[in-house]
Amino acid sequence: MQDANLQRRLILDIPTGFLLLFFVMPLAALVTLSFWQTENYKIVHEWTLMNYGTLATERAYITFFLRSLVMAIGVSVTLVALSWPIAYFIVRYGGRYRIIFSLLLVIPFLSGEVLRLIALQGMLGPAGLVNGALIRMGAAPLRMIMYSNAASFIAFIYLYLPLVVTTIYLSLINFDFRLAHAASACGANRFRIFTEVVWPLNLSGTIVGFMLAFIPTLSASLVPRFLGGPNGTLYGMSMAQQFGESGTWALGAAMGVVLFLFSAIALAILSYGVDLRRTGFTGLGRQ
Amino acid sequence: MNPNFTDSLIKWTLAVFLVVVFAFLYMPIVHILFASLSTRPNFPYPPEFNVASYIRLSTNTVYQSAFLNSLLLASCTAVLSTVLGFLATVGVLRFAGKRALIYAIFFAAPLFVAEILLGISSMALYYMLFELQGNMLTAIIANAVHCFSFCFLIMAAMLYKYDWRMNEAAIVCGASPLRSFFEVMLPITWPGIMGSLITAFVLSLNGLDVSFYLLGATPTMPSVAWGALRYGVKPELYALSSLINIVVFAMIIALLVAIRLKRKAA
Repeated sequence: MQDANLQRRLILDIPTGFLLLFFVMPLAALVTLSFWQTENYKIVHEWTLMNYGTLATERAYITFFLRSLVMAIGVSVTLVALSWPIAYFIVRYGGRYRIIFSLLLVIPFLSGEVLRLIALQGMLGPAGLVNGALIRMGAAPLRMIMYSNAASFIAFIYLYLPLVVTTIYLSLINFDFRLAHAASACGANRFRIFTEVVWPLNLSGTIVGFMLAFIPTLSASLVPRFLGGPNGTLYGMSMAQQFGESGTWALGAAMGVVLFLFSAIALAILSYGVDLRRTGFTGLGRQ
Repeated sequence: MNPNFTDSLIKWTLAVFLVVVFAFLYMPIVHILFASLSTRPNFPYPPEFNVASYIRLSTNTVYQSAFLNSLLLASCTAVLSTVLGFLATVGVLRFAGKRALIYAIFFAAPLFVAEILLGISSMALYYMLFELQGNMLTAIIANAVHCFSFCFLIMAAMLYKYDWRMNEAAIVCGASPLRSFFEVMLPITWPGIMGSLITAFVLSLNGLDVSFYLLGATPTMPSVAWGALRYGVKPELYALSSLINIVVFAMIIALLVAIRLKRKAA
């Protein structure tokens, strides 16, 4: 029996130790760094709250953060609204082509953020497909979709749509549609079936999908840098610049801590609505 | 209104919506495929067939070394995170007991921390502890943290209906635990393991944020693509992107065919 105990301990402890060393430790280092200072590209080991003071008082950082927050909420809500009908269609009417449909959604997701952004730039840019076609037809190019927050918004939708659809799909595929039939037999109309049976029972999966789009959008650095234009600086991009061009690591670390805390709080609030057993994600269904 | 009519109305509205969304997802990919094959990359219609940009891509030494680096990084990350993810899955499903939920949440946590934060914080740690600028090993580890959660969730979804008594039966019949794993468990669970390997491989092949902060001057595919972007998009980048899309497409088709063949054989 001791052998089994040892085996059990090893199997759970190896991944736990790995995460503690390479996931929790770096985050702790980030927190420490955020209380230090950087001078002339060197880290000074002096405890200070100055970085957080700068973040709370400097206008630009507050603007970046609020802009990121509005963008992330807008993108995630739009994504959930777009993903529901798609996932619902695949689950209800996909039949034996379900797996093909869901793989077709995933394939564009697999070619990576940078390359997908290049593809999107080919569509939206000044010389891209949309504006090229408009110019050929004799119309004026659409300024709105070049280097603006609208372009970033489209890019975020494009980047994270497969992720959200897949999450809601996994939730719906584990949903027992006989419950909807039962509600229908009891006299509920379509709208009521949706609002009182289908939506609440799939809320967990929807929230997970929302978070999976919300977090990368909130911290995005590539999209705004590439597509956002002069007024499109987002929080994550500014944070990346502290570690790159400006060399103010400590301030960047403080920005990272704020971002992490904010995501964690958002996650905690939203996860009140999450019952992991219903997300279709894990094998926790066996009681 | 006739309920059957309403039903099919809903069905067809949804179907049209699905087609529109698929078009939105695939139009950029098809567009750059045409662009990479054309002499006029900005507006490649009508399509041509010209492989000049592919030839330039294959003779460019920067892309070659970046490709090799990315391949090394992605394969090591895939193996490492799949092995760890497999241990975590078995641990949570079989051994964790009442603490399964806590472990599962901990193992899924990296999914909810932005990649850029992982990269930055690992860089800060190595710099503060060892004054290290980052190298291939640290990049592999940081990428593996991110991929680990995906691997764990994929294998947990595939494995939770697995009947553990089969392993015990094999052991009762005299097999060693290792043999029961290779001859009983692996043949049954390989689609989940393959899925996890492919996902981790693709994620780390494409991830820019983590590698960017941990690899310094070592070029990888996404960082070279990102660097080239700053000086304007070139047809070579379109060619590279199309090539990766085609490879991914082929891998998915192969996986599908393999699963179907296996099911037919069974």
